[in-house]
Amino acid sequence: MKKKKLLSVALASAFLLPSLASLGGCGSSDTIVLRVYNWEEYIDEGGKGTFIYDELHELNDEGDPVTDKNGHVHIESDIVNDDYKAWYQETTGQKLSEEGPRLLDDFCLWYERTYGQKIRVEYSTFGTNEDMYNEIILGNEYDLLCPSDYMIMKLAAEGWLEKYDDGCDENGVPDGSYNFFDPEVPENYYVRNVSPFIADKFENNAGLAIRKDDNGEEIYWKDYAAGYMWGTTGFVYNPVAMNGTLEAFLEECDWGIFTNEKVAGRITAKDNVRDTYFAALGVTYQEEAHNQAQSLAALKAQFDAGTLSPADYTEGITRIFNATDDETISIVEPCLMDIKKNIFSFETDTGKADMVAGKIWLNYAWSGDAVYAIDLAESGVDEDGKASATARLNYYVPKTGTNLFFDGWVMPKGANKQAAQAFVNFLSMPQNAMRNSYYIGYTSVIAGENQEMRDYADYLYGYEFDPEEEEEPAETVEYDLTYFFRGENYTGDKRVEITAEKENATKRQLYAQFPPEEVIARCAVMDYYDREASERINELWSRVKAETLDAWAIVVISVTVLAIAAFIVFVKFGGEIDFFRARPKKGFRLVKQEDYKQIK
Amino acid sequence: MKIPRFSRKTLCIPYAVFLIFFVIIPMLVIVFYAFTDKNMHISLGNFIRFFSDPTKLSTIVYSLVIALITTVICLLIAYPVAYILARSKMKRKFVILMLFVLPMWINFVLRVNALRELFNLLSSLGGMEWLASSNYFKTVFGMVYDFLPFMILPLYTTMLKIDPSLYEASADLGANGFTTFTRITVPLSMPGIMSGVTMVFLPSMTNYVVSDMLGNAKVTIIGKFISDYFGNDWHMGSMIALVLLIVVFVSTWLTGGFKSEENVRGANL
Repeated sequence: MKKKKLLSVALASAFLLPSLASLGGCGSSDTIVLRVYNWEEYIDEGGKGTFIYDELHELNDEGDPVTDKNGHVHIESDIVNDDYKAWYQETTGQKLSEEGPRLLDDFCLWYERTYGQKIRVEYSTFGTNEDMYNEIILGNEYDLLCPSDYMIMKLAAEGWLEKYDDGCDENGVPDGSYNFFDPEVPENYYVRNVSPFIADKFENNAGLAIRKDDNGEEIYWKDYAAGYMWGTTGFVYNPVAMNGTLEAFLEECDWGIFTNEKVAGRITAKDNVRDTYFAALGVTYQEEAHNQAQSLAALKAQFDAGTLSPADYTEGITRIFNATDDETISIVEPCLMDIKKNIFSFETDTGKADMVAGKIWLNYAWSGDAVYAIDLAESGVDEDGKASATARLNYYVPKTGTNLFFDGWVMPKGANKQAAQAFVNFLSMPQNAMRNSYYIGYTSVIAGENQEMRDYADYLYGYEFDPEEEEEPAETVEYDLTYFFRGENYTGDKRVEITAEKENATKRQLYAQFPPEEVIARCAVMDYYDREASERINELWSRVKAETLDAWAIVVISVTVLAIAAFIVFVKFGGEIDFFRARPKKGFRLVKQEDYKQIK
Repeated sequence: MKIPRFSRKTLCIPYAVFLIFFVIIPMLVIVFYAFTDKNMHISLGNFIRFFSDPTKLSTIVYSLVIALITTVICLLIAYPVAYILARSKMKRKFVILMLFVLPMWINFVLRVNALRELFNLLSSLGGMEWLASSNYFKTVFGMVYDFLPFMILPLYTTMLKIDPSLYEASADLGANGFTTFTRITVPLSMPGIMSGVTMVFLPSMTNYVVSDMLGNAKVTIIGKFISDYFGNDWHMGSMIALVLLIVVFVSTWLTGGFKSEENVRGANL
């Protein structure tokens, strides 16, 4: 009886807990909640280091605001000007705080003004796509997620996602309901502002094979996802390393740098299977053709010669960089082992600091991180505020092809679609896209229907000769970003160009943040692996990460360990088992354990 | 006024609830996951896959070896320290003990990070370049640094409780210092050794924060392995966790962690 009572108390308290929690939320029944699940550090979080704060404060070397003789700290900004402040007041109904407001707070204000409904954002973050995926399949409920390209496809194919509203009923007949893709609706900032280049990639599934979901329906990205940030992967490198020859050497080796002994212990790879497997495929296929696929170099040569159409080229490299068959794995595995032997570390976050500290020469990095590392080196202080060892870093994209990635907003089943889509639209206002992009360093998918984002890019990277600081003007180039910014009204001669410093445009921040069209042409997007493939790849990864001993070593060590264990058991219990006890001398009798206990 | 009386059983309820929800149920979930496949059918597939895969067995063996080395080094350092502290008549020995234990009060990720920076600094010096690539050395060093207090404390407390008259008796009966040490100190400090070994050996098999931060993620111990598997295959991850649990159980049993002997004297922390 007692036991039962205990159990019932336990159960009762278990049932009581959730009801207590819901009591707390009762008071504000007119407030709706939007649960957003995003990457860590992937949205403007307000305060110092935000676009608005940095634009309105002149900062000294320590990052503290400079005061003029009247005690004022605020300065004029080209972008956060009176127009911007008026726009801010218009959208949120509040005066722009010069200390840098939080974007999430602004969203709540805007939402209430626009839709007449109070909203609260429950914002949480994840570290990897796989962690996020596990949360979703375990039944955690969110309204909006921000997975990467391959994970979007996986979630969509497995039927975890809601489609964006397209103004049609279930049979595809327009019924006058809300349409996320209708540019005429005033709140539809996403569809009006998204870069035509990204929209086009989404439209065509980014060159991936068309997947089918469980019902046999074809899956297109654009139905399920709205872009947020995008970028490439490449190498951040230290141009002064190897007596200044590293740059030329990197161009010569390309992907092969990963296994080149000249940079042994001076290069890093990513500590996740997707990125490092991708790199290993690059190393393997760069020069040599395997397994019915041509080499990357051969594909590139055909594309350059014009015998291979851009679409076929994209398809070709996408197929190579997404190969998971057994034969490919057996070729890539030794390559991964070589990479492991050659690199300094597998890292996710430490590469930037190691790079700035001058400890490593090359860091395989995402473009947003590259921009951050280059900025950091340029500023002369590292993350902890110490003087950095490296004054400048460059960014290099492998010439035989690399990875193009997107992170996009998707709505899991059961999401509050109205609020979620409103959130996406809010983030897609150019003024907000700037803030996010500035804060996190990645490139927003927003190009802007008007001039705003071009002005922003020009403001960040445009070059103007300043006689006070330089003696003679730096060499500049006209950097062509038409492909990214061109709008509906694009005509052939209306190009979008930024006059930028040549260095910046060919190997530094501008090149990393807004890659030129020729880089995009040689990029492949990651596809998701189905269950069998993902098992094969994960087994491969665990073989790479762990040290596999030879069979005899396992046997020897196991036997040793067992022997030690047996010895301890013998020492402990030997005395209690007659068999192990010493034989008595002649004329003596061994007292059996049982008898001994009785005597006692 | 009537004072409510709590029987022992009622007082146990909070802990029982805690045990059920945070120990027993999770354990059952692990067992369930370990013996099911991806379609949630009962299966021995994970079990077979585990014991037929040299990578997984090697990783367990590697972790055992790393943990063993860590434990031996910790013991070799901690034993003399504890012995000296317990036997000396120093006035401020509490201060010395504190110096060893104090780092425990600082967050351990912070300490490992500091160690990482220290290694960085050292490896940039002339003649120390080898340090940058010796990942196993740095991992073991980090583990020893991290777990040393856990070895010193139980040893110190047991040795403190050894009756000094035993040493006197031993000297009276003509034993030299070495004999006294082997016949009195070591046997009587055995409970301390055992609990110290348990407290160092078990966590150093799984503490992959150290191997990740100091070993540049190139050293994979079993804890990291489990965590990696939980990214994509909970069933295999659970199976590895279960095998580890059994290894831990057996080694705890061997080192006498379950005994409630009187001469343990509080050393089993």
